[in-house]
Amino acid sequence: MRPFNHFSPTTLSEALSLLAEHNGKAAMIAGGTDLLLKMKAGLRKSDVVVNIKRLSDLRCLTFDAANGLKLGALTTLRELTRSPIIFEHYPALAHTAHIMASEQIRSLATVGGNLCNAAPSADLAPPLIALDALVSLIGPAGERQLPLADFFTGPGKSVLQPGELLKEITLPPPVGQTIYLKHSPRAYMDIAVVGVAVRILLEGDVCREARVVLGAVAPVPLCAHQSEEILAGQTLTDKRILQAAKTAAQECSPIDDVRGAAWYRRRMVEVLLKRGIKSIQ
Amino acid sequence: MTNPSAQIIGQRVPKMDASAKATGKATYGHDVRLPGMLHGRILYSRYPHAKIVNIDISRAKNLRGVKCVLTSADNPSHLFGYGKDNRPFKAIARSLRDEIAGVVAIDPDIAEEALELITVEYEPLPAIFSPKGALAEGAPLIHPERKSQSNMFHSYRYAHGELEQGERESDVVIEASYTVPYVTHACMETSVVVAQFDLRDHLTLWSTTQIPFLLQRDLSEALGISGSQIRIIQTAVGGAFGRGLDIYPYEPIAALMARKVGQPVRLAFSRHEEFTAGPARQPVEVKVRAGAKSDGTLTFRDVFCMLDVGAYISWGSVTPLVMMETTASLYQVPHVRFQADCVYTNNLITGAMRGYGNPQSTFFVETIMDRLAEALRMDPVEFRVHNANVPNSETPQGLIITSCGMKECLEAVAANADEGAKHNASAPVSNTARSVAVNRPLTAKDSPHLKRGIGFAATLNVGGGARIYRSDGCGATVKVDDFGHVTLITGSTEIGQGSETVLAQIVAQTLGAKMEDVTVLNSDTDIKPWDVGVHASRTTFIAGNAAYLAALDARSQIFETAAELLKAKPEELLSNNGSVTVKDDPKRSVTIAQAARSRHFKEGGKVILGEGWYDPPTKLVDKDTYKGNISAAYGFGAQMAEVVVDTETGKVRVLRLVCANDVGFAINPMAVEGQIEGGAQMGLGYALTEELLVKNGKILNPDLLDYRLFTSADMPEIKSIIVETDDPKGPFGAKGVGEMGGTPTAAAIANAIYDAVGVRMTQLPMTPERVLAAIMEKEKTE
Repeated sequence: MRPFNHFSPTTLSEALSLLAEHNGKAAMIAGGTDLLLKMKAGLRKSDVVVNIKRLSDLRCLTFDAANGLKLGALTTLRELTRSPIIFEHYPALAHTAHIMASEQIRSLATVGGNLCNAAPSADLAPPLIALDALVSLIGPAGERQLPLADFFTGPGKSVLQPGELLKEITLPPPVGQTIYLKHSPRAYMDIAVVGVAVRILLEGDVCREARVVLGAVAPVPLCAHQSEEILAGQTLTDKRILQAAKTAAQECSPIDDVRGAAWYRRRMVEVLLKRGIKSIQ
Repeated sequence: MTNPSAQIIGQRVPKMDASAKATGKATYGHDVRLPGMLHGRILYSRYPHAKIVNIDISRAKNLRGVKCVLTSADNPSHLFGYGKDNRPFKAIARSLRDEIAGVVAIDPDIAEEALELITVEYEPLPAIFSPKGALAEGAPLIHPERKSQSNMFHSYRYAHGELEQGERESDVVIEASYTVPYVTHACMETSVVVAQFDLRDHLTLWSTTQIPFLLQRDLSEALGISGSQIRIIQTAVGGAFGRGLDIYPYEPIAALMARKVGQPVRLAFSRHEEFTAGPARQPVEVKVRAGAKSDGTLTFRDVFCMLDVGAYISWGSVTPLVMMETTASLYQVPHVRFQADCVYTNNLITGAMRGYGNPQSTFFVETIMDRLAEALRMDPVEFRVHNANVPNSETPQGLIITSCGMKECLEAVAANADEGAKHNASAPVSNTARSVAVNRPLTAKDSPHLKRGIGFAATLNVGGGARIYRSDGCGATVKVDDFGHVTLITGSTEIGQGSETVLAQIVAQTLGAKMEDVTVLNSDTDIKPWDVGVHASRTTFIAGNAAYLAALDARSQIFETAAELLKAKPEELLSNNGSVTVKDDPKRSVTIAQAARSRHFKEGGKVILGEGWYDPPTKLVDKDTYKGNISAAYGFGAQMAEVVVDTETGKVRVLRLVCANDVGFAINPMAVEGQIEGGAQMGLGYALTEELLVKNGKILNPDLLDYRLFTSADMPEIKSIIVETDDPKGPFGAKGVGEMGGTPTAAAIANAIYDAVGVRMTQLPMTPERVLAAIMEKEKTE
């Protein structure tokens, strides 16, 4: 790895001015579990690295029944797996974090990093989008908030502007039940070949609200709106579930790569979505 | 052989280096630091086949911190390697892993930066990426200097019996094609070497090799200096599995660098380099036909293999000898024909890897066995037992089988099959679930898409050395000092397999010394006697016999002196726990230390120094017929896999793997279990997840993210069953077990998948995608 200048600001304003000073060319490091691999492999070259781990404004994990969850960008995956708040109110997030990487990596890797890295296969994106997450971004132009669903623009790309960073994620109070199912050849230490998050609000047999979000089958984590429409307001019969699953499989646009063939990924979207809905039922 | 009162062999003795390794205190190759040491990096070819028209190193040379830059102009004039087709740096690149230039700098980052400053002008040549393409008429020659004027390196052809007769006598015949992939060792420690020349022009090389003495010879050839100028010091080895069985260009390159700069040079591979420039197990395309009579007796096997050996020949190109052995001699087959074509391509280099051809061949032989049993409506275990190898027999290939527990192994794993069915009825079939409610275990009962199956496979492996070099020997000396401390100096090498501990047990047992009084020296060619290397599961048997002989020699010296002190005859003595005692009068006793001191410290005194050299009574196979007894003993094993297949995702979960191995005698049962479990882990990866994806000579997944090793979280329950047959030639009856653990695993799992869902998998690894495709294909035709 080439030498670089490393800055460790302790306040948000200091960090923002450092980022502004380098005109968006500085790399931000939190857990470093994505960045350092890229730098070592020469895929990312940066002369300046700004460590954001000391920014207390990016750390929080609070919940109240009226406003829901505030999750600082620096929350580690391990914290997600160990937090009683997450476990009680958003168990799907605890589960998702638990099946990511390894204990060592989970201790370093952050929620913000997983989102800002913007991999189409990022495991946390589908369940967070399904939970209607909003992201707060802060930069030279001030702070703005938008749905996480609108955050991603392509593989490795997001709406983050030069000098802007992800501060926190907010989730409304939980509605219905959420599940994230991941297909990967190994139990742990693996990237999703397909990830499917589904959130369903049931009233008796009738689905009042449905969210279907797919990972690793499109350039960005994909909201399968047509599939959601098939489910919303309907009784969840086997036939309807299958129809929603097949529709989601058609909505996505997977590619063939070393992790799986497009046909297989579509098929797994169908199987996992069907299983996800049934397990909520 | 046994010393009745001692209790060292047969015990679960922890490995002598376990605490050093567990605490990180062991000195691995990557830990070696010498005063004034510099760092080398290698520039690899941009094209899989190209002529280097021009190379400009001036900018790299001028970078601050760079000491020198080497290219093919710095090559000695000699070719090296098993096929005598390799050079340190290449003027013509034949694969993407070809070394074009090397940089020495004060730190590895500067060396890396300098590589980017080297400008190479290539003239791309037509490249070939498949053996078929390489053998096609008019295909460009990868080594045009070769006399044969063909890309065929070698075609191994073997036969016994009369194939036509075998076919005539068959009531059922099965025909199938198989594909097995490139896989790699993925050692925890990447390849590393430190080279230093002294003022006498003598080279010392710190290395993780498995073959220090052959490397000494190979390096002398590559560098054009005498072997007596080369000293190899082995560090603690962070994984070898066959990787260390060859010379690789980076080793002479490090030596050339060190010689040029006059300072020690360290060359350590990155993980990426380990994948791209390291060796892989040969991918093989196989066509098999095999038959049996209606009473279950095998009639014939006809096998054709095509191996892609890559751009240069390594010892790995000899793996067809082992594929041949499995084909000709695993079970009793009266009529066999085998052909294996080893073909040059512009793909990655291939080499030796645990099992040495056997994992490939056992996969097709044992899945064909299952199909024959099915066609005959016979129980797969009964069918195997009916045809099993038997003790005190000679196979038509000329293997002389003495001890043989094949039947016992098969029966032992079969006895566990029923237990599995019971065990599974109530137990969850998913073990990924933890406390999180949404991932609660699915049970076979309420999940119609989960299907359970069991499958069997057996294996045969050399267990008493393998003569593939003119000597299959190993030397040993045993020294006893005046404190009664025992030093075994053995030619064999510790590569993590536990040989040190087993050899120390043999010596302690034979001498009647305490285990804690034994030290093993095994890492320096200037000190230790010759050995051919760690391969072929040979160390316990060969080095064990050598250590036994040396200890016996030392014991007779101790007894000679003790007899004088005790006023008894040497044959009246026995030794145990550090003391020598008169058998019939145990009160008359001296310690080994007392005997040693008495022998040393007197006029005309002597040191206690025993020596042993063991070369097994075997032969090189005949160069035309490939027949002959290559090993002094053969190991046998069987496995039963119990799997659950998800019919909607194609995912295969192995619930249990029951492994029985005939090891003759377990000198250290814990170490045997370690070998079986470690082998099973590699076998599971080969079966289910591991594959180097190669396109146009380039590896698409050269990292541990997308090259999927089987992790501890994926491991099933493994039950190791040790079968003991008391081998007549093995030390204390022991045979080798190092490679068998992973050999039958892929076949056992494939057979279990068939049992579960009725599809025959013929391509490894059996990924969810491939299994699902096979299930869908089957549904389509039904």
